[in-house]
Amino acid sequence: MDMMLTRWKIMFISVAINLAAISLSPSLYASDMELQASVTVPEYQGAYSGELLWEGIVTMAGDVLILEGGTLTVRAGTQINIVPAEGTKIDPEYLSSQTELLIRGKLDIQGTPDLPVRFVIVETSATEEIAWSGIALDKAAESRIRYVELERADIAVRCVTSSPEIKGNRIANCRYGIVAQQKSHPKILENILLDGEGGIFCWRGSNPYLLNNQITGHDEEAVFVDETSRPWLEHNMISGNTIGLALYPRDLPFDPESVTDNSENVRWLGRQGQVGVE
Amino acid sequence: MRWWCLLMIVMPLFGPISASAGESQVYKGEQTLFEDTVWSGDILIDGILTVATGTTLEIRPGSRVRFTRFDSNGDGIGEHEIFSQGTIRVLGTEDDPVLFTSAEETPRPGDWGAINMMVSEEENLLGHCIVEYGYRGFHAHFSRAKLLNSTFRKNMRGAQFQESQVVIDGCRFLDNNNGVQFRDSKVTLQGSTISGSHWGLRCVYSDLEMTACVIENNLVNGVNIRDGKIHARGNRIVGNRRGLYLQRSEGRVVSNDLSGNSEHGIFLEDSNGEVIDNRLIGNGRAGVRWLNSKGRLTRNMITDNGVYGLINDGTSAVDARSNWWGTAKSGDIDASIRDGLDRPELGLVDSRDALVQSLPFNLLETP
Repeated sequence: MDMMLTRWKIMFISVAINLAAISLSPSLYASDMELQASVTVPEYQGAYSGELLWEGIVTMAGDVLILEGGTLTVRAGTQINIVPAEGTKIDPEYLSSQTELLIRGKLDIQGTPDLPVRFVIVETSATEEIAWSGIALDKAAESRIRYVELERADIAVRCVTSSPEIKGNRIANCRYGIVAQQKSHPKILENILLDGEGGIFCWRGSNPYLLNNQITGHDEEAVFVDETSRPWLEHNMISGNTIGLALYPRDLPFDPESVTDNSENVRWLGRQGQVGVE
Repeated sequence: MRWWCLLMIVMPLFGPISASAGESQVYKGEQTLFEDTVWSGDILIDGILTVATGTTLEIRPGSRVRFTRFDSNGDGIGEHEIFSQGTIRVLGTEDDPVLFTSAEETPRPGDWGAINMMVSEEENLLGHCIVEYGYRGFHAHFSRAKLLNSTFRKNMRGAQFQESQVVIDGCRFLDNNNGVQFRDSKVTLQGSTISGSHWGLRCVYSDLEMTACVIENNLVNGVNIRDGKIHARGNRIVGNRRGLYLQRSEGRVVSNDLSGNSEHGIFLEDSNGEVIDNRLIGNGRAGVRWLNSKGRLTRNMITDNGVYGLINDGTSAVDARSNWWGTAKSGDIDASIRDGLDRPELGLVDSRDALVQSLPFNLLETP
């Protein structure tokens, strides 16, 4: 009996000490994280209609498609784990063999400067440098992508006949930062794009509004504009890229003082390498 | 159970629910054709219709085959379809094509499954037909088929097949989400158009003979060959994001027009290519992007491309002798090439013996 009591006392004291340690210790945050990790993280893959809400920590275990009429809302502070795809398969309704977030409905990512939404790659030994496809909007409804941290995508944000607001995001080490094609007119505001192959591409009648973006460290073009597109460029900082502006339209207005310290600040396109002012 | 009792139970599985003149033949639920069958007029598939091994389904000119939409799991994809392990022969004519379509009032891509073939090794034929609003218009595994003079439009994917032998001649794949995809297959594609898709043609581990086709206005790559072989001759591959992209593949690319693509006319990555007598004009970023590939680039017209005529992004040298670069000035030719002279970590390009004028370019007659 005494022995039994002693055991209960030891257990009680032990639990009390642990509780005190948790409540007093500066490692409270770490304990919370461990607790969260022990809770099952919701996993998503496949096609979704209706309203879908992501918050806390979620995992994209494969491609996610938001169907026409559906909405994906992502709360501020959400962490989205990306599991890279293996293999070369693309089902007919998708666009890439890599893991992708494909929006044919509406996307509302509600990050804030203090609580950004983070896309985090789940690394394996086979994960390649470009680890996932990125976010694609294909004839999407009015959407916004705010304060996202996103890296190592093939195209961080691809707009096809879609005109979302893309604001305050940090896009790093992607092959392409933002692609606007097929009459897409996104508002691209206050983003940081760095260290990719190319920054922002305007193709096939796309007229995005670029305001207060910082585009730096790209191996090729920071901003590329084809013959049929007319972006509006205002107060962007474009520096440290191989080519700052690569432009087909000779009359596109831009502020030369915002395009500095690139290996080549402006390249007029269509003359395959022959540099010079028109 | 007496034999006639069994027959009474099984009989409905063999034939349509109704088949009176002037009305649709209706196949409801899961049914199987065990005897050779000929269709004409209106047919409604309200379920999954299987064509059994050894059975032939023949569809006469002017027939209309409609599929109801049934999406059991809410993924936006209809599941009703034709599933054949026998033989399908669609015998439309130019004046009286056979139509495969959705039965919905407001049809959309993916309303129904596919004309689906599994281990169907007799010669299947889809001649002069229109296939629309399916998930995969034509789909096959371990099968042989000819798709002739037909149109596949507004499907999620126009055609998809694996481990099959397929001839596609005179067909049009228009405004599908993705155009044509196959793997482990041997394919002849001629006189056909693939337009208005995300991916135009994408294949893996396959052997493709492509002649006199038009591949245009696709939003990803016009033609994407991965771990395969292509012989492309006399095609127009224009206005796509990338024109022709070879990844770990072998290609003989002769007398094609690879122009006006948003990025590159042709992109070879870890591949072996013979790129001869092509037009590579007005592509957005470069006429040619060459990355750690072997082969040669010769007698091509490489002019008026966006940033460069040729980019060598690999460490190996590129044999690019005897091309027309739009100029005879050696300084201008050098400027149109990016290689190890611009970035020391890259291989060099041999552009000697540059042509002093363009060669005549004769494209085969395309649709």
